[in-house]
Amino acid sequence: MFGNIYCKRLLVSARNKGTLIWTWIFPLMMATLFYFAFSGLQEADLLKTIPTGIVASEEYERHTAFRTALSAVSDPEEGFLELHDYDTREAAEEALKNEEIEGFISLENGAPNLSVFKNELNQTILKSFLDQYVQTEHAVISLLKEGDPDVSRILGLFQTEAWTEELSLSKNVPSETVTYFFALLAMVCMYAGFQGLDSVSYLQANLSPLGARRTISPAKRFPLVVFDLLAALTVHMACMLFLLAYLIFILGVDFGAGLLPVIVVLLFGSFLGMAFGSFVTAISRAKEGVKVAVIISFSLACSFGAGMMVSGINYKIAQTLPLLSWLNPAARISDALYCLYYYDGYGQYFLNLVILAAMTLLFSVVTAFFLRRQRYESI
Amino acid sequence: MIHVKNLVKRYGKLVALDHFNLDVQDGEIFGLLGPNGSGKTTAINCILSLLTYDKGEISLFGEPMSPTNYKSKKKLGVVPQNVAVFNELTVQENIDYFCGLYAPEKAARKPLVEEAIAFAGLSDFRKFLPKKLSGGLLRRLNIACGIAHKPELIFLDEPTVAVDPQSRNSILEGIRALNANGATIIYTSHYMEEVEQLCSRIMIMDKGRAIATGTREELTALIHTGEKLTVEADGLPLSVLEKIRNLPDVLRADYADGHLRADCKGDGHPIIDVLDLLRQNQVSFGQVFSEPPTLNDVFLEITGKQLRD
Repeated sequence: MFGNIYCKRLLVSARNKGTLIWTWIFPLMMATLFYFAFSGLQEADLLKTIPTGIVASEEYERHTAFRTALSAVSDPEEGFLELHDYDTREAAEEALKNEEIEGFISLENGAPNLSVFKNELNQTILKSFLDQYVQTEHAVISLLKEGDPDVSRILGLFQTEAWTEELSLSKNVPSETVTYFFALLAMVCMYAGFQGLDSVSYLQANLSPLGARRTISPAKRFPLVVFDLLAALTVHMACMLFLLAYLIFILGVDFGAGLLPVIVVLLFGSFLGMAFGSFVTAISRAKEGVKVAVIISFSLACSFGAGMMVSGINYKIAQTLPLLSWLNPAARISDALYCLYYYDGYGQYFLNLVILAAMTLLFSVVTAFFLRRQRYESI
Repeated sequence: MIHVKNLVKRYGKLVALDHFNLDVQDGEIFGLLGPNGSGKTTAINCILSLLTYDKGEISLFGEPMSPTNYKSKKKLGVVPQNVAVFNELTVQENIDYFCGLYAPEKAARKPLVEEAIAFAGLSDFRKFLPKKLSGGLLRRLNIACGIAHKPELIFLDEPTVAVDPQSRNSILEGIRALNANGATIIYTSHYMEEVEQLCSRIMIMDKGRAIATGTREELTALIHTGEKLTVEADGLPLSVLEKIRNLPDVLRADYADGHLRADCKGDGHPIIDVLDLLRQNQVSFGQVFSEPPTLNDVFLEITGKQLRD
């Protein structure tokens, strides 16, 4: 009986157009889209310079030290500032208002003054640069006023001394780009819900004529559903492995650790997706289209929370609504993959697996409660 | 083979089966006839242990029927009203799948599947997916999936709904062949002609109750209406129609569209008297038809409404 049910279910899943589109074609398209959309993202972040205005004045022309400092930090090769000269303060203000520049610097009473419109990262960088310049300038002037200055002390002011040692948590650099791909894999894991939906529909007489026909047969329910789900899982894992191979070998996505722990995450995620789909199907007699919509919506919402659509949203949710983040299955799958990519240890990875297993168990128990009925009030 | 006693099934306030009784003997083709909503499918689903019921006893093959009575289930074949096949499997794969739920051994299953394909006339379509089949062929596939394992007792629930006449005849012939090979058949339909042609005994159902059971002859003998006369007649005067109505063996008579229609009483045969009256009153007439009473007449007389209402 195993061979008959297992093999036919493989054929059913493999030939199902809905499954083909949602779990095979759609994720490949999304992965390719992400690849082209985000491949240059990290490089762009690293190379980005801050457009900064300079208000021309006699004082500015006289202040050689400041101009030299600005020239150093606006070097086209290594600098982080992109300088724009303005004749008047009004012109600089207009450019700032039009967001042509992030801020502008004017010299007033010998001291550089920064004007900004927003309070974001680039403005903070500009302010830090000016603060450091002013501090160093005052120190140099103080030493010169003391007379017979110690050249080595002056030079020391221009050398930053690190009091802390920077240690990397792993050999991989942090990357926001990989999060998109990990969240995509999490979404496809959740799409195993379609397989769960089919398996439960095929089993329950009150959900489909096929369910009625199978219920009437002398085949026992437990082996019937187990063999069926096993075949469904086989097909879904084939889809996951295909996508994984595409990501690794075609798009060059780095998963850090070896393949085995990655596949274990995908297996746990697929179990959870199937359990969720079975749960949605078993608890309600709504039409199949409604259940499909629930599975798709839930998967997309979870994937959104895992960072598939907005960069960093997963971290913001983890900070502001930690419980929601822990209960988001896609976030757990994505986080487990990120742990493998970034951390050397497996603590957080195993914690994510335990949470996924617990959710799977919960959905399965509730589903089993509904499936235990063999006679129905109406069909 | 089937024994149902005082079965009561309610859907909320609606009584779907009202103290329903049924006894089917080995080797019968037993027809359940009734309009849509009369309780035929509900009765079958209760017998098959798909539905819960409020009261009553059901036994199959001498044993109480339950969802876990796998011994009895193994001997059953069911052809549901709605086509229940996998759209992604071919004709042959579908039959093999459902046969496999009853006959797990692949070697034993193979000849059964081949026989079912031949029986349903699907040999030329074995590699077709269900969506490529016509309505009639799809119904035949539905039947093949239900009977491939050679069951002893077969339930066929409206198997000819939305089927072309050619496929319908093929299906009815197939059912006769199954019965001839030893299977007991329970056949539900709201097409009285099919039930009349096919079934050895018939139960007429209405509003969840069995209103009459017996052979076709036994059922028609239950009513006052006998044969029905139809005579083509030009310009039948009202006075002559009244004389026909007053004939002792005529139950009722009407004239419309150039046709005189008369229902006769039980065993009466007033055809000669009617034609004599027409001749005497110089009413010219053409073709004359006489038909025995139908199950619709039985249903009409007992319930006061047409079977197809």
